[in-house]
Amino acid sequence: MKPSPESSSASPGGFLRPPGARPEKEFLARCLQCGQCAQVCIFDCISMGIGFNFFQSGTPRINPHKAPCFLCMRCSQACPSDALEDVPIEKVRMGHAVLDRNKCYTWKQELFCRSCYERCPIKSTAMELDWGEFPIITDQCAGCGVCEHVCPAKAITTIPTRYVNP
Amino acid sequence: MKRPGIKFYRRSCQILTALAFILIPYLNHLQISLLYGNFLAFKCGPLPLADPLAVLQIILKNNYWATDLLIGAAIALIIAATLGTVFCSWICPFGLLSELTHRRQTQTQSRRKGFPLKFTIFALGIVGFLIFSTTPILNQLSLPAWYSRIFQVWFEQKHISLALAVLIALPILESLMGRRIWCRYICPQAVLLTLTKQLNPRRLKVTFTPGSCTCKGHSPCADTCHLDLNPRRFKTFPETECTNCGDCITTCKNYGKALGFGFGPAKRPSAKASKTPKPPRTH
Repeated sequence: MKPSPESSSASPGGFLRPPGARPEKEFLARCLQCGQCAQVCIFDCISMGIGFNFFQSGTPRINPHKAPCFLCMRCSQACPSDALEDVPIEKVRMGHAVLDRNKCYTWKQELFCRSCYERCPIKSTAMELDWGEFPIITDQCAGCGVCEHVCPAKAITTIPTRYVNP
Repeated sequence: MKRPGIKFYRRSCQILTALAFILIPYLNHLQISLLYGNFLAFKCGPLPLADPLAVLQIILKNNYWATDLLIGAAIALIIAATLGTVFCSWICPFGLLSELTHRRQTQTQSRRKGFPLKFTIFALGIVGFLIFSTTPILNQLSLPAWYSRIFQVWFEQKHISLALAVLIALPILESLMGRRIWCRYICPQAVLLTLTKQLNPRRLKVTFTPGSCTCKGHSPCADTCHLDLNPRRFKTFPETECTNCGDCITTCKNYGKALGFGFGPAKRPSAKASKTPKPPRTH
């Protein structure tokens, strides 16, 4: 399945694959649907596909709006069939976060807020501080959705690059 | 006090497994992840276990040989090669449900071999997966996996899967037809186990000593068999489908004690039998 960045948050039924997931077709061919990734996830962000869709049921998915992935990579380590590859977190590409500078407290110079920067699992790589103060999201963003989850101004949106439409 | 028989141990084993796969997702939900997974792939501390059929599908499709999966599948296959298809009768939670709702037929029906149909489904599933499908579709036919997945989804996602209704309806449907259809004719998971056990002629089997048999005209052992097998006729009727549940042996204890468990060929001639050779009775 080819990535569809445009149709990201517009489709409410879409979902992300856990970090380290192989390209969709290969991922599905390898996934045993054993649910080990969901069971080792300590943040309860991975859910298993439900329903009687033969091609999707039992496969793991992440809804970043409900619970973001904190890139602990326990799921990819647990995966017995390597459908989720245990890659370094810098190489994870689940999506890409976009910062709206018109909403961000720091960029609006209303407050000195560094919530997103402090919580970013790969901070100073995926997220940098311009002038030591203003958060900037770089190309290294893994799209885990943590910054979106913690932003008090709701200025960040995670656009999944590997969004899968069921 | 009467010593508990084979059936007591077997039921305990089945019920404990069924309960364990409710408890494990609950513990995982409480962040206790020592044991995790379901019947397709399971991690028991450092020890991996896996459904051989699921592993076979992954290997064939991706040419991917994961050590964990191979060890897990090998354990399952080694158990099948030494003890027979005990998974079906001692562990499988669907087998338990199916047995509990099974209504015994008083008249023994004409017995047809279930293995050919099972094997056809197995082969079609594998070919279908390799050519058309993206996901290992035979995994979706694994009812024990569905059983464990229902509880995984229940505790992790607070979602009660509709599969629960199927899992309850299926044994009831089976009991109405009275023949344990799924286990005998459909379940593709048992195919690999059955094929593996055939490789070892010295595996655990039900043995029959014709000389000790006291039943004339009727066959309580065959009547008690869930799968409508006749343990006295294993010579003519290959015991491929016997799951070593031991129910016939328990029944036979009240009669001549002619049936028992033993390693080796089914037609091992005992001393008694060789003195007075009797053809195995048919009823």
